[in-house]
Amino acid sequence: MSAVLNINFIQELLLSMIRMATPILIVALAELYSERAGLVNIGLDGIMAFGSLVGFLASYITGDPLIGILAGATGGIAINMVYAFCTITLGAEQIVYGMAINIFAPALASFIYKIYFGINSTLISATLMRVMPVPLLSNIPFIGPILFNHTPIVYFAYLLVPITCILLNKTKAGLNFRSVGEYPRAAESLGINVIGQKYLAAVICGGLAGIGGAYLTTCYISTYSDGVVSGRGFIALSAVIFGRWMPGGVLMAALLFGFTDALQLRMQVMSPDTPFQLPAMIPYLCTLFVLAFFGIKKAGPKANGKPYFKEER
Amino acid sequence: MNTKNKIFKVLVPIISILASFLVGAIMISAIGGNAKDAYYYLFLGAFGSASNISETIIKAVPLIFTGLAATFAYRCGVFNLGAEGQFVMGAVASISLANYLAGLPVVLQLVISITGGAIAGGLWGLIPGILKVTRGLNEMIVSIMLNYIAILFMSYLYSGPLRDGSVPQTAAVTAKLGRIFENSRVHAGIAIVLIIAVLVYYFLFYTAAGFKLRSVGLNSTAAFYNGFPVKKLMLLSFMISGAIAGVGGSVELHGTQFRLMSGFGDGYGFDGVAIALIGQLNPIGTVLVAYLFAVLRKGATTMQVGTGMPTSVIDIIQALVIVFAVAGSTIINLPKIRQFLANRSQKNKGEVQE
Repeated sequence: MSAVLNINFIQELLLSMIRMATPILIVALAELYSERAGLVNIGLDGIMAFGSLVGFLASYITGDPLIGILAGATGGIAINMVYAFCTITLGAEQIVYGMAINIFAPALASFIYKIYFGINSTLISATLMRVMPVPLLSNIPFIGPILFNHTPIVYFAYLLVPITCILLNKTKAGLNFRSVGEYPRAAESLGINVIGQKYLAAVICGGLAGIGGAYLTTCYISTYSDGVVSGRGFIALSAVIFGRWMPGGVLMAALLFGFTDALQLRMQVMSPDTPFQLPAMIPYLCTLFVLAFFGIKKAGPKANGKPYFKEER
Repeated sequence: MNTKNKIFKVLVPIISILASFLVGAIMISAIGGNAKDAYYYLFLGAFGSASNISETIIKAVPLIFTGLAATFAYRCGVFNLGAEGQFVMGAVASISLANYLAGLPVVLQLVISITGGAIAGGLWGLIPGILKVTRGLNEMIVSIMLNYIAILFMSYLYSGPLRDGSVPQTAAVTAKLGRIFENSRVHAGIAIVLIIAVLVYYFLFYTAAGFKLRSVGLNSTAAFYNGFPVKKLMLLSFMISGAIAGVGGSVELHGTQFRLMSGFGDGYGFDGVAIALIGQLNPIGTVLVAYLFAVLRKGATTMQVGTGMPTSVIDIIQALVIVFAVAGSTIINLPKIRQFLANRSQKNKGEVQE
């Protein structure tokens, strides 16, 4: 037990927490943008899988993980455009179509991987993104290395939180955007292009989710395998609900899940006699308990999940 | 208009299947393969010999189970995405009971074991139901989390307490489902699942309780105002849906797998949801589409061996069927299309002068 109270252990744990929370945070913010415009996108897991593949491939081909991140964003947008077209223009049920994407996108990712690398079981390695410590701040004792010794994507993710907060809550564009998810008819009557805003939301969501996926294969580990996402998309979904559709809440939720993820890895190492499956359940159990105790009934943008047809009066 | 609706409902999946095979052929050619050869081997693998046909049927059984579970849930307006976890928990229950049932006659063992699987699956499916009904939680996320927990739990069992020897798997169950035909491995599970499919169909469409469940799915507010106990019906649908998946896990264990090991039940859950959607939420459609999926799965390995095409092509074709089918069934519902169809039928009736 004394190992747990060791300062180094706690420092490493918190560092790991920040890193493991990052993909969940990015994807949860992606879903936040989407749901605020009224699009419930549960295909996040699939978009992440595709983004992770595209990011890995781009990073492998060019040798630059940053290109991998950008490629992951592009891939995510591409997949989400299929979703956007079918739900916005065709009016398909968003939840059903999200599930369709969840099945389609990982299959596509797996296919492209096998075509490119062949069917063998050895894991191919690409370059891992380098950690970039912030010059002065990372030298602050104890919290310096925890907060300021990361890959640039981590900084991007956490900066996104206040940016999103300001964008959504303090700008006129953000207000227009949010109104589309609350009461699209009123928005339309004010001249806001509802369909356009929804497509914009889909682009942002796809891009960020793709980045979240690419993070897993360029910054977290440098290999790709079929199960690399392992449910993080759904954990991100629950982070949005837990965070009450606000950027600050989403941040708290993401950090909590990152913490449980980091903790369970360390617990596996600390007690090698306990079968690894039991600690591995912790993040999922945590999500369940958090939702059970803090989930609320009818929160969220009012027009969330409903298709919008201009013709219906 | 009603027959037209029904025709469309059957056309949409058929056209989606054809369209995805077409796109699949384009993809195969694009990466330098021969589509005709690939599809030839695909169908050879599924229909080429008696043994191939039996293997396809065996693969179809668990898919029909999870498809029926998803169909049942969706008809009642709830999204049971936890079929994978319920399937696994059903098998876990069966394997746990196996030791205690050792001395009993085989038929009795099977009956108790499968019932245990149904109860385990039903309880596992009840968890998201209770959370939805009492706390208003999104049942999708809960059921997916439970999937991961169930799979990890099963992994713990066959690597630890129930491990048999040095390989991470459990001991084989001694009670096995009988073979129906002489020289094939087709087991009684196919009979069980088809009976359940008929029962589900009858229940949903020919009983009062089934009607109430469906009405909750179609319009829960109207159902509530009609005095239907909406919450209880939702819980019931979660339970039955989970039970069906649990029986599926049990049957798979006693029918073909006989042991729990890594990869047991992999992918059946989500495939079941896809099958339910493509089959237009009709138990008969579910059976047919599940068989199609089994054909694809079985033929894929033969195709890979015969032409070198990776099996992922089949995964994509499968996924495309879903994408097209779901998009297709909604195109029908677009206001413009509905207007178009209404105009057509009015013109035919001579009510509109042209």
